[in-house]
Amino acid sequence: MTDVATIAFYLGVITYSVAATLFFLELARKDGDAARAQWAPRLLALGGALHAIHVLTASLLSHVCPIDSLHFALSFSALIAVGAYLALRQRLRLSALGAFIAPIALTFLVGAQFVGQSSESTQGVSRTLLIFHVAANVLGIGLFLIAGAAGSVYLLQERRLRTKKRVASMGSRLPPLDALDTTTHRLLLAGFPLLTFGVVTGAVFSHQLTNTGGAESLRSLLGYATWVLLAAVLVLRKTAGFRGRKAAYGTIAGVVCMLLVLLLYVVRASVGGNL
Amino acid sequence: MIVVVGLSHRTAPIAVREKLVLEAADLPDFLRALVQRPEVGEALLVSTCNRVELVAAGRAGFDSDLDQVAKACVDALAAHSPGIAPHLYAHVGGTAVRHLFRVAASLDSMVLGEPQILGQVKDAYELARKAGTVGSVLHRTLPRAIRAAKRVRTDTAIGSGQVSVPSVAVDLAREIFGDLSGHSALLVGSGEMAEAVARLLKVGGASVVVVGRTLSRAEELANIVGGVARPWSALQQSLVEADVVVTSTSAPHFVVDYEMVSAARKARRGKNQFLIDLAVPRDVEPRIETLDGEFLYNIDDLSKVVSDTLSTRTREAASAEAIIGREAEGYDRWADAEQATPTIVQLRGRLTAALEEELSRSMRGKLKHLPETDRAAVLKMLESAVNRLLHQPTIRLRQAAIERSQEGLSLEQLSAAINELFGFDAESEAVSATENALTEADLEADNSGLSLSPKARVVASRN
Repeated sequence: MTDVATIAFYLGVITYSVAATLFFLELARKDGDAARAQWAPRLLALGGALHAIHVLTASLLSHVCPIDSLHFALSFSALIAVGAYLALRQRLRLSALGAFIAPIALTFLVGAQFVGQSSESTQGVSRTLLIFHVAANVLGIGLFLIAGAAGSVYLLQERRLRTKKRVASMGSRLPPLDALDTTTHRLLLAGFPLLTFGVVTGAVFSHQLTNTGGAESLRSLLGYATWVLLAAVLVLRKTAGFRGRKAAYGTIAGVVCMLLVLLLYVVRASVGGNL
Repeated sequence: MIVVVGLSHRTAPIAVREKLVLEAADLPDFLRALVQRPEVGEALLVSTCNRVELVAAGRAGFDSDLDQVAKACVDALAAHSPGIAPHLYAHVGGTAVRHLFRVAASLDSMVLGEPQILGQVKDAYELARKAGTVGSVLHRTLPRAIRAAKRVRTDTAIGSGQVSVPSVAVDLAREIFGDLSGHSALLVGSGEMAEAVARLLKVGGASVVVVGRTLSRAEELANIVGGVARPWSALQQSLVEADVVVTSTSAPHFVVDYEMVSAARKARRGKNQFLIDLAVPRDVEPRIETLDGEFLYNIDDLSKVVSDTLSTRTREAASAEAIIGREAEGYDRWADAEQATPTIVQLRGRLTAALEEELSRSMRGKLKHLPETDRAAVLKMLESAVNRLLHQPTIRLRQAAIERSQEGLSLEQLSAAINELFGFDAESEAVSATENALTEADLEADNSGLSLSPKARVVASRN
């Protein structure tokens, strides 16, 4: 079993790396080669499958439910991002997003290996609620990662069309602006209830736990900031036509806050919860 | 080898090119009549707006007198359309192969890298194949030309981007909106280019509204592009509804100004809008570009994209020429090797005939007790022996055909020696390569030494 987990991990790293390289080459190429372009998403799917095998076998080995550990939860978020991307890619012409998703998945797969077991005490916290809290966050992070990637590509594409540079050479390799805007919006809509649930349950846990410190307060603050930013993007779109570039900036800001929350978790777990 | 005879935009003005019109329905008969001529064994005709070219091979396959084939093709075209003869060109042998490869790869097209020509070459091949005017030479040449063209398109950016202003405009609209169906386009004013853009948008699935100062003119244009006409007073409302705005009026001032678009943008709730200003002087106030979600391209911007695309294609043409050069060299080597085929066929035929004769005699005499399975095994053994015996001579003959070096014996010398040693008579030497040419599969089988080809057996029986 250990061998399976290790082999799946290393093969996953290799396939994600090759997929990321192919996605970047696809963006940099001079002209189309449909056959070659199809390999990148295939390899990403293969990497996702290996990633899933690694998470499942490794969690079985350590007798830890994947969402009970920050290590696996992080890895699982990236896996969800990969799955969601592959599901949306064809329908919304989002192939170029792979250039963001593949490196993100690789980073999370490898990065999670350096995250130690969290020493955070969860005494006094409902285990069922905790499982739902982590599950909602894992799913939400996966969706927001793609939303952030879509927002970033939107800004790139918009800048290119506005400055009229590389219009001829880039051709139609980047997704259409409307598709990126719609994707970002839909992913925010799908992830926002999960985020809200995560923030509310997180607030409840913070209240119940006694070992809260400065890092915990900062983490809560950033969690609220994420919620406020993404809520603002959704509400302003509905009420004031806040879309396109502004919505992309708002989404990216929200996703950055979310990543900072994750970073605090990771740092705390790595230093043994002494923050 | 082949010949290519015809005319194109490079050699003949349109007044001449339009004289040489061959209807698709008449083509099979024309080609069949051509291959009835004593010199021509195979033919196909590539016909486009900018070129009409006969690709032909002689009746004797690779040994044909290509000059005679070319002359017959010139005569056929000149007879069909009197007056075009001075504009006809004829490429023969390796030059013709390179020309055909370049044509298929769109390197000889009026618009470098245009994608239609490859389909037209494929269609011409298919039509001739159905008409029964394609033989072993063209069956091996055309697939190579098509493969070379595909390599050029795959490995270079010769076909990248769009090379007309309307196509560039519509491509940009797709980069903003994706699929155009469900989107609306507004055409303000008239003009040939604006009309072309509106047509392409309509083909892409967009609904088109035409607004003009003269309603009757707007209605006329709307009918042409399949849209709806509105009076000039509806311009502001139409701006609100339109995702793509194409302007092409002769007004000396801005027809669509900042305030109009700004107001429309609020009503559109921030949705992206693409403005294409094809007028000179400009119809759309440039300041509009500063508005979020408004994308403005004028005629200079679009022309620059076209120019960049053409520059890219021109740069890529050098790489494409290199690919064509390599493919043509490969063809030359293969065609050279084909010259050894008649000798190989004769040699194989002679050996097979001799062995089969001896085998047959033995089967009737000393070996008549052998059961069927053993007879089959003996036959197979003899076939294998023939293949092994001929393996080295086959390779040597082909090498001699390809290398043509001063050192060592030439193909002609080797063939003469074989003729002398085996005593091939005049009749056997006259067996035409076309009649008895081995297929590529046969040749592969020869190389692998697996079995005797059926065609070789035919020759053997004749000998």
